[in-house]
Amino acid sequence: MEQRQLRPIYDALDISNVGLALQECNKLLRKHPNHLSAKALKAFALSRLGEADDALSLGRSVLQTPGSVKNPNVEQALVLAFRTLRKPEDEISVYNAILEHSPENESIHVKVFLAAACNALYNEQHKAAVDLNKLFKRSKYTWWIIISLLLSTRFLDDTASAQLHLALARKMAEKALSEQRPSTTEHLRIMLAISEEQRDYSAMLSALSSDGPLASQISNDPDLITLRISLFVKTRDYASAINAAIRALEVRDNWIDYKHYIDAVVAELGQLADKPAGQTTLLETTRGNFERWAQLRGRARNARLASVELTSKLQAAGYSPSFDSVVGSFGDLIWMYVDLFKDKAICYSDIMQHFARHVGDSASALDFHTAQLAQRIQLTHGDGAKQGQDVQSWVNMEKIRYLLQAMRNDSDAASWVQDISSMLEYGLDSKDAKAKHAAASDMVLLASQRLVLAAFLDYATYQKRNKLFYALFTALCILEEGIRLNANNFLLKLYAVRLYLYLSCYERARGIYDSLNIKNIQYDTLGHFIIGQGLALGCTTPDLELCYPAVTFYDRAKSKIPHEMESAYNKSTYSNILDFIEFKDNLKHSVQCEHTYRCALRLEILEQGCSKGAEQAWNNTSVSSINHTEESLARLHDNRDVNIMGLLTPLDMSKWNLEILTRPTPLPNHAWIRTFSLTPQVMHCLVNANAELLEAKRKELLVTIEDAGDSITPHDKLVARGLCVIATLYINAVDNKSTDEQVDELVKMIESNLPNEALDDSAVDLDTLPFVTIRAMAAATELFIYAATTKHALAAQRLSAAKQMGFELTQLRKRALRGITALRSWLSKSVRDAIAEALSSPEEPVHSGAIVEYVHRKHKGSVDVADGVYNYALMTVPELLFSADSSWFEPLPTDDIDVDLVHVMPLPDEEEHEIFEDTWGDLNKKKLLS
Amino acid sequence: MSTIRRFRAMDMFQFNNINLDKYTETYGLDFYLSYLSSWPDLFNVAESSSGSLMGYMMGKVEGKGELWHGHVTALTVAPECRRLGLGRGLMQFLEDASENIYNCYFVDLFVRPSNKVAVKMYEDFGYIVYRQVLGYYMTDGVMPTENAYDMRKALSRDIYKKSVVPLKHPVNPEDTFFD
Repeated sequence: MEQRQLRPIYDALDISNVGLALQECNKLLRKHPNHLSAKALKAFALSRLGEADDALSLGRSVLQTPGSVKNPNVEQALVLAFRTLRKPEDEISVYNAILEHSPENESIHVKVFLAAACNALYNEQHKAAVDLNKLFKRSKYTWWIIISLLLSTRFLDDTASAQLHLALARKMAEKALSEQRPSTTEHLRIMLAISEEQRDYSAMLSALSSDGPLASQISNDPDLITLRISLFVKTRDYASAINAAIRALEVRDNWIDYKHYIDAVVAELGQLADKPAGQTTLLETTRGNFERWAQLRGRARNARLASVELTSKLQAAGYSPSFDSVVGSFGDLIWMYVDLFKDKAICYSDIMQHFARHVGDSASALDFHTAQLAQRIQLTHGDGAKQGQDVQSWVNMEKIRYLLQAMRNDSDAASWVQDISSMLEYGLDSKDAKAKHAAASDMVLLASQRLVLAAFLDYATYQKRNKLFYALFTALCILEEGIRLNANNFLLKLYAVRLYLYLSCYERARGIYDSLNIKNIQYDTLGHFIIGQGLALGCTTPDLELCYPAVTFYDRAKSKIPHEMESAYNKSTYSNILDFIEFKDNLKHSVQCEHTYRCALRLEILEQGCSKGAEQAWNNTSVSSINHTEESLARLHDNRDVNIMGLLTPLDMSKWNLEILTRPTPLPNHAWIRTFSLTPQVMHCLVNANAELLEAKRKELLVTIEDAGDSITPHDKLVARGLCVIATLYINAVDNKSTDEQVDELVKMIESNLPNEALDDSAVDLDTLPFVTIRAMAAATELFIYAATTKHALAAQRLSAAKQMGFELTQLRKRALRGITALRSWLSKSVRDAIAEALSSPEEPVHSGAIVEYVHRKHKGSVDVADGVYNYALMTVPELLFSADSSWFEPLPTDDIDVDLVHVMPLPDEEEHEIFEDTWGDLNKKKLLS
Repeated sequence: MSTIRRFRAMDMFQFNNINLDKYTETYGLDFYLSYLSSWPDLFNVAESSSGSLMGYMMGKVEGKGELWHGHVTALTVAPECRRLGLGRGLMQFLEDASENIYNCYFVDLFVRPSNKVAVKMYEDFGYIVYRQVLGYYMTDGVMPTENAYDMRKALSRDIYKKSVVPLKHPVNPEDTFFD
């Protein structure tokens, strides 16, 4: 009977029509007001629809009804509802209610354990494990207790009981290991983790040295072998560490074992301080081992680099140059390594850190390496005919040259670009280039990196921004040609994305980004390259399209990770638990996740334009979850991958860090997150007529942006400051005070960031267009939309300020349209010629000489690319014009408009224009263009 | 220089230099996590001395009776780290575990026949084309729909090397599933 009653609800849920399911629930409840299953399913439907408070209240009321969970329909619906609501305590309450009737139901006890384990409820997890073990006495449950004790020690603040918990866990683990004789190392790893928490390294060594049933697996598990060597080092038993490392390295070529070996040797030297002969013998033996292993097939790289690492560690420990005669000098060994492996692409990455360590502050070491490089680079320097390994050597030498130049602090831009003609010739013109040889793409990247660095060195000042534009434009031409030749090289693409965005050319940046097929976890690590940039450039729709899959990824991760944690517990692969917890925490509290959610919210609202839909959207927005505090901000993790850009200098040399230099905007940080968590709250208070809370939020927002310094852009600050003015305006309107001052201020803020209608050829230049004009227009657009929404909110409350604001915004819109029309006219008439002229008659070294000569004369393809780039720049503005409510814009005089632009942005016809004019006065506009 | 160690979920935050390669798929979280929770010792990564990831291999064991075997699910090496023997090292890892820990009869893998470099590499490692699987690879918009080579290498438990007697006729994808 009940199943038949519920069928329509389940059918609706099966096709994911939650709204229909809710209707069916209500229908059934009208007939049977006390139908518990219908109520529970309604709670679930409400939870899916985001009605959290109602869902939780209804779910709890059903749960409190005695005997309700005996019904499996109720149980299942409540569990799903509470899971959707992220209320694990309530989910556990459902299970506990079932256990009251069926106290020995093992599967329900397991559910309690897993629900607690997957939601960091460690005390509940421990209690559930104890109950399971007591009732069902399975070895698995013993280990669940042990893990619960370990987790509670690691993640709870109760330090007093931590040692007790650890001691108990260890005792249980030791007993279980001896009695159960497990067949995998998973249990042993938990035992090791407990001992490590206790810092009892001797116990760990003892566990790893036992000759029990796991001995064979331990001796074949590289992780455990390495752990054992490291434990000898930690316990200062250096002789044993050395012996264990040698035994390991005799059979397996693992770099981490070399590192522990070297650490032990250097530490042992200290123990032998009064025995110089012993020190020499130890080092001779070590060097001899490295030499012997280097002769084995496929093992030369690790062994040779170990020699370099040894001298590096000796230098750091103050032994250099005392033992140079025994092990060789640090500098010589670096170059020996380079000479041996320069034909491998990885060579530079292997050795870069050693150059940096050896040079340190030593000018003589830098001179030494410069001289060494000079001897070699001539031999490898390309003449356009080099192939294969020779070219890879050249690439590596060029990378070393770049590093040494940076370490020399060479600020002469010309010297960074003087030799790149031959690099371009090989990278773009050679047979290797046409054959998509990786070295050719590397060379294109290297040339581009040099050009970009030189551009920032010479033109980073405000006065030289136009030259920066041209120089970066030239680098883009080179990158585009490199991508055309080898579309598989992701580094060329990442640099191109960065530079296009830096120059405010969104569309091409987006196209290249899309070709990288970034998805899933990469939304979190690489999404920062582009998400939010469209918003900053007025390209809201494409930016929102990027946010949606990222938001979906984050949402799904919330359920996927707990599911896999359950799987790990059920399969007894305990070694993953701590890793999964850390991963889940990093993703849950991800800076990029916060940034993506905040951008998605802003973009969704902006998509509503100036219509009343924006007011409704703010009304429907739940802002309680985005109320950040210092504590919640401190929990955030930065998972963004900023090392992906193939940097040629160590990260601590920030002046030469191209990843930082090419950021179009600062990476969103805590100040940004706080600012754009407050702006929705301000708007939410405003449309909900909560003036008291609005004032508090306004003050908080003001303090946040004042404290933010340069960590958020001036244009983001404009939006936030404007919103503070809007808030004050609203509060005054509610209090029946004058709002004239705020309206004037707001109009001035918006208008001063839009192009002036009196604009002529000299008023805008390429120094301001990409860096200021477009971004300011985007921010002003956003602010205008917030102002329009405020006008709707004032009108809804019949406040007189609405009329005044509507009039002022209408006038402002007309002036803005004339300004934008003038800008578009200027763009279509002048910008292409301006760029072409600048590139054809260079005055500055960075974008002149060989590079421009190459781009324009030697390589027609690059010029074609450059033409394409101009177009992308021009297309950004129409994209911006579309981004706001399209009915902002009046028809434009067609004789001023480039044909391509007309195609890109169809204009309203006369009839539509009349509708637009009629409706604009009330700001209750009909959307004219889709 | 490289260290081969178990892959960790946290490594997903930094494997872009490997996965941005167009031939390497970035799967959903559950795919990686399910391998970690099911076969943590068969999912290994090569790491450089600076901590960057160089390549990884996902593997599993499956099958019954004489079909009990190790399987290479994914093997990928960052472009910069190729031709260093990392692929061989990672494969060796799976083969050792399949042989010494799981006592398997053979190791197998699937590869696109058009990926001639990979096929040649596996042949160099001692694998033979056991059978063709029709329409195994579906197009993803970038790569075409294609048959697969099911390549195998016998382990010492397969004394008579029965697992590597090539089939004469191609099979359908469903014929390759194991319980």
